[in-house]
Amino acid sequence: MAITAPESTGTVTLTIDGREVTAPEGATIWQAAKAAGIDIPVLCHDERFDPVGVCRMCVVDVGAPAFAASCVRACENGMQVKTGTPEVERSRATLTRLLISDQPPRERDPKQTTTADNELLALADRYGVTGDTGLPCGSGRGVDLSSPVIAVDHDACILCDRCTRACDDIQNNDVIGRSGKGYATHIAFDLSDPMGASSCVSCGECVASCPTGALTNKPIRNIPIRPRTELDAVDTVCPYCGVGCALTYYVDRERGAIAYAEGRDQPGSHSRLCVKGRYGWDYAASPQRLTVPLIRREDSYPKGALSADVRGEMSGDGEVNAHGMADDADAGPREKRKGGKRGRKPGGLVDYAEVLPHFREATWEEALDLVARRLTEIYAAGGPAAIAGFGSAKCSNEEAYLFQKLIRTGFHTNNVDHCTRLCHASSVAALFEGIGSGAVSTTFGDVANAEVAIVTGSNSTANHPVASSFFKQARRNGTTIIYVDPRADKMADHADIYCQLKPGTDVAFYNGVMHEVIRLGLTDAAFIASRTSNYEALAKTVADYPPERAEQITGVPADVIRRVARAWGQARAGIIFWGMGISQHTTGTDNARCLIAMCAITGNVGKPGAGLHPLRGQNNVQGASDMGLIPMFYPDYAKADDPGVKARFEQAWGTADLDPKRGLTVTEIISSALKGGVRGMYMLGENPFLSDPNINKVRKALSALEFLVVQDIFLTETAEFADVILPASSYLEKDGTYTNTDRRVQLGRKVLDSPGQARVDWEVVQDIANRMGLGWHYESPREIFEEMVSVIPSYRNLSYDNLGLTGKLYPNPDPERSDGTVVMFTEKFNTNDGLAHLVPAEWLPAKELPDEQYPFVLNTGRLLEHWHTGSMTRRSYALDAIAPKPQVFVHPDDAAQLGLADGDLARVSSRRGTIELAVKVSHREARGNCFIPFHFREAAANLLTIDEIDPFGKIPEFKFCAVAIEPASVRVDG
Amino acid sequence: MAKAPARAPGVEARAGKFPGPSLIPALNAIQERVGWLPREELVALSRDVRRPLYEIEGLVSFYPHFRTEPPRKAELRVCHDLSCWLRGADERIARLRQRYGTDAEVEFVEGSCLGRCDIAPACTVNEVPVSLDEADAAVAAARDQAFGSHNGHSGHNGDNGDNSKNGHHGQHSPAPAASAITWPNDPYPSAGDRYAVLRAVLAGELGTADIIAALKDAGLRGMGGAGFPAGRKWDLVAAQEATPKYVICNADESEPGTFKDREILATQPYLVLEGLLLGMLAIGAEEGWVFIRHEYGPEEQVIRREIEWLRAAGLVGPDAAGSGKRLSVEVFTSPGGYILGEESALIECMEGHRGEPRNKPPFPGTYGLHGQPTLMNSVETFAHVPVIAARGAHWWIAQGHGDHAGLKFFAVSGHVERPGVYCVPMGTTVRELLDLAGGVAGGRPLSAIQPGGASSNFIGPGQLDVELDFAALQAAGSMLGSGALVVMAEGTDLLAAAVNVLRFFRDESCGKCVPCRVGSSKAHTILTERGPGEQVGELAEVLRRTSICGLGQVALGPVMSVLRLTGRDHEG
Repeated sequence: MAITAPESTGTVTLTIDGREVTAPEGATIWQAAKAAGIDIPVLCHDERFDPVGVCRMCVVDVGAPAFAASCVRACENGMQVKTGTPEVERSRATLTRLLISDQPPRERDPKQTTTADNELLALADRYGVTGDTGLPCGSGRGVDLSSPVIAVDHDACILCDRCTRACDDIQNNDVIGRSGKGYATHIAFDLSDPMGASSCVSCGECVASCPTGALTNKPIRNIPIRPRTELDAVDTVCPYCGVGCALTYYVDRERGAIAYAEGRDQPGSHSRLCVKGRYGWDYAASPQRLTVPLIRREDSYPKGALSADVRGEMSGDGEVNAHGMADDADAGPREKRKGGKRGRKPGGLVDYAEVLPHFREATWEEALDLVARRLTEIYAAGGPAAIAGFGSAKCSNEEAYLFQKLIRTGFHTNNVDHCTRLCHASSVAALFEGIGSGAVSTTFGDVANAEVAIVTGSNSTANHPVASSFFKQARRNGTTIIYVDPRADKMADHADIYCQLKPGTDVAFYNGVMHEVIRLGLTDAAFIASRTSNYEALAKTVADYPPERAEQITGVPADVIRRVARAWGQARAGIIFWGMGISQHTTGTDNARCLIAMCAITGNVGKPGAGLHPLRGQNNVQGASDMGLIPMFYPDYAKADDPGVKARFEQAWGTADLDPKRGLTVTEIISSALKGGVRGMYMLGENPFLSDPNINKVRKALSALEFLVVQDIFLTETAEFADVILPASSYLEKDGTYTNTDRRVQLGRKVLDSPGQARVDWEVVQDIANRMGLGWHYESPREIFEEMVSVIPSYRNLSYDNLGLTGKLYPNPDPERSDGTVVMFTEKFNTNDGLAHLVPAEWLPAKELPDEQYPFVLNTGRLLEHWHTGSMTRRSYALDAIAPKPQVFVHPDDAAQLGLADGDLARVSSRRGTIELAVKVSHREARGNCFIPFHFREAAANLLTIDEIDPFGKIPEFKFCAVAIEPASVRVDG
Repeated sequence: MAKAPARAPGVEARAGKFPGPSLIPALNAIQERVGWLPREELVALSRDVRRPLYEIEGLVSFYPHFRTEPPRKAELRVCHDLSCWLRGADERIARLRQRYGTDAEVEFVEGSCLGRCDIAPACTVNEVPVSLDEADAAVAAARDQAFGSHNGHSGHNGDNGDNSKNGHHGQHSPAPAASAITWPNDPYPSAGDRYAVLRAVLAGELGTADIIAALKDAGLRGMGGAGFPAGRKWDLVAAQEATPKYVICNADESEPGTFKDREILATQPYLVLEGLLLGMLAIGAEEGWVFIRHEYGPEEQVIRREIEWLRAAGLVGPDAAGSGKRLSVEVFTSPGGYILGEESALIECMEGHRGEPRNKPPFPGTYGLHGQPTLMNSVETFAHVPVIAARGAHWWIAQGHGDHAGLKFFAVSGHVERPGVYCVPMGTTVRELLDLAGGVAGGRPLSAIQPGGASSNFIGPGQLDVELDFAALQAAGSMLGSGALVVMAEGTDLLAAAVNVLRFFRDESCGKCVPCRVGSSKAHTILTERGPGEQVGELAEVLRRTSICGLGQVALGPVMSVLRLTGRDHEG
């Protein structure tokens, strides 16, 4: 998205190749010629970027002694332009010859021998330039193969600066520049470091922009990259985060595999991708895919974890070691088990060899019959309260819809939930209470219209990389970015104001800011009067948070709080983006309430560049929630405990006896299982063993279940506790819709066939439903979608036929013609009275504060390269190669005090468990804090986390618990 | 708070350039403190100022001033460009290389023009200019750490404060005393009379419109090479509505054979600065800069001292001479490289970017430093302003010969008896100037002359009566250029001389655009390895017509002129 000339109504008239052409003022000659159907060749120019005019291929004769580069030269009235005189064409031919003379030979060109779309070679063909130019050949600048995913051939580089602009202006990662001078100039990463050792985040935008063989994708899993024309292009959507970037997979049908991925234009993502989207799709081709239904062997009961890791033998926690498996003597090679701690090298995933012998292969018939029978028995014996289901925000809308429908109509319980509980449940609780809707009030792209954007509790460059690229880009175009986060991660480098608040002090911070906004008279009185309620109570509460007090609590200097307040209060349009740093606290709902109040008192909702945007985590967490995969809501957030709603869905679904009360949430289901409440569970694509807090408790709960069916694509840690494991299809193997963080509903298209007997999830759900006697007859996801839309008013008008290649935002009054609604609540909010309900919050400390024994605050979260429990990303060659091991991030001074150097092994303990992992000395952490990503089972952060939950959202406090860190060489007794 | 404006039409993108304050002062500060730029320091800088590493790499690798290795005790730098080459630089370099090439304490660097063509072959030891005969002694002294300073310039770029602390550029080279020579463009009979025009303007006795009118009437043209009419340029920038505006004195002459500005800076700093300040008042700028080439340490001292004097005298400051006008003048020391003499490259450098010329238009007059209207003239142009303002356009016009107007400084070097700087009436013939400089060295016959610096075409002995002025030299197939007359006696291999010039351009190419970056290199290889051929002509054309800036456009001009002069043009 190039920065374009200011909007102007003026035009200029000039002559191009004898034709009179009228162009908008500020248009370049190249643009004017293109509009007139005149093709001027380019190498350095790409309409996505602002022009640089360095390759000179687009030169034209404007009557001056020297030619002008048409890509950068603005049109002028009366200009006489000749685009193709013999002199001009000769110049282009000579320039091509100059460049070709230093290129690798065509038959070895990294681009021509892969995607076969080298733009320089195309020009060489056009100008009849052969490999032998007669010009002396340069000395050769060499190749750099240090990146796992990108090959750099400096000889093939023509210094067009496209990669530089892609890296800077598009993705704003700021890694690539020019180094050296004159003929010795070359592109360089950081301080001219090997690409693989640089700060490159492997988004691949440079590869996507390179016209020659200088930057090319490396093959993944040895699938050769072949010419586009020989591959099958499947337009779909990235399976990872809530940003929902549109992409195209190029599929090698002969090999039945994806060869490479490319960003695809869509109003939200603008063809951008991050490392996961561009390089992380090969997990589906992992040889570890489950391909046959599995039933637990008789002799593997009583149940318990099967691998040493999952049993907790890695945890160093003696009490847990003893749990569960003591009398399970025949379950596997004893030596291996016994030696679990040392017998297995650290890293990797579930040890199939250790776990699989406990299961036997079964037919689908047998497995499904068993599932239906056992669940029915438990339901018959224990009633609705004995059954629960975990769906997944990774599954499609159609699957989420069917899954909740199965649990609700088959078992008459609302005990159905998914990982939103661990994600934005508190945000959604606050949003429902405050504005009557859990979805974003505007899109992430609307940041371009914001004067101020607050990004808070969100490591966006890692978790929503493509969205963050728009934040960073907005800043370059003048938006003030305020970053509020305990970790000074990369967003801090791109912020105008960075507030490194102490963990868990968000309420105090925002109360302090609001105090100052009110004191300065920067509120929007008209908005408060006409569109909000309960302002007085809010004002009264924040009156007790003058910036000095907020400084005491948060550690952010009062003056900085005042600056934030002034910037926010004065902004014409202000927008807030937040992530798990806000929601994953016992005060998560209060945190989000403050953000809602921040926007409401300044009138920053319901207009362009303003609003509330909780950045959704999973690719379909918005959709799964919309579908009612939540214990307190039926589809479209219809209240489960509302008799009218119950009646409506009973009618719609042709059923009776829907559960009249709210069901249990993820964390409550685990607790219930421990107490013998929930006894049978259906787990579709969830892995609570790694994703839930306090793993040791989860382990006990899973072991206590009478019956567990796990439907997944890999043998997860959770599957070790299963009675039946059903091999599911990956995202890449099915059609369905997915709703991203912007409320954009997009079609995901089938790319590959499922391996072995693995089946599409919605069909499996339907088969179980029918064995329960529900009598479903869905023929396709399209049919499910139609039923869904009929019960989800927000999705009204959407259909498989009008979603198109780029999807549609909901609500959407006219999907045939409109992309949908960007800005919500322009007139009123979705609450009963249409007003925003302000809810004041008092700051409360986190539940477990650091003390002498556990002096550090642990923060958990994700890495750019990995996804949640790692079951996908750790099976991706590229992602695993880039980020192979668990690390604890520690401030340099803390590390020094602990006697830990970068790479040393540390032991991190909380009151709940202990893990060992390498130290990463990081200036991005604050002193006294540490950060551990939760992807790594061999050092599972959630062994340490606390299972305290927010009273409203029921979300666990993943972002705060007390831990101790020590060098691992100092052994703890026992 | 308003959002930043979108990119102006016709302005290229900032590929690889980061918005924000320049990092060059920060890099200078590290180099001053540590002596060089260790990696850890650069990483820490990047982190502390939250700017990308690539940006630092781009600067450090582009500007020769920055060192990425610890300095040795002595750095001996010898020029190999045309004027020095004509005076036996190659042999001398070979000898010095033999002596110092493997010396662990001495860093021997063969490089581009040092602006000391009058003492060719020129060299510096630890950045202090010495004649080649003094080089061994200077190196010996440097071994005892008694010579020069590796820290060089003291990093005042962008520093608006105290200039008193600088002690750079060597105790062995005291700064030339200002006005040791009185040149004819100096209207002031004694030191006490100086700045009379500036005082008159500040007192409201003289309007800047009158000065602009005088410049126009006098027909003063830019003396940096391009010859754009100065009065028109001032008018154009004065008419711009955008503020702030800037005025920059381009004191970055770096073309082989060109050192006249050095002499003007050393002897007439008050005229240069008065011209600059008048320019600021004329266009409505409060901030003026002297962008001086790195190698002019002694002259920089003179300018800095003169600025100090202006501050002390109250002519520069928040309320210049009680006029209510703020005038500030600062010195920006170039981090090195001939290309920075190109006006837009100079601006890029001042903004903290790699010194790569911009696509033009827009020109600095409308879109200059930080995108603001900027008046830029060279040292000599500014130095002529006071006399024109003081004595009027008629006086100036009368200084020229015949139909030619005004005075012109020339640097004369090469095979000539008395190399040096001469100020002569415009329209003086080449022969007259040559005679003034004592004629061809040793009385030898003349082979060729490059009349306007390295970018100008060679002319032969048959053209000695051509008058030195813009139009006349252009008509003769060359140009007045930077006012550098390089004399080549009979026996000179003219093609080798022209290839020497090409090497300079190749070495000094910024690398931004394809024709110059690749073409100058290929052409040099062809000419040194194969000799002239058809391809050289093709390359000359593509460089001339498609390069972004003058450097690339002229790089092969001298070679082509020699081929024509020697009748070998059918080969090339």
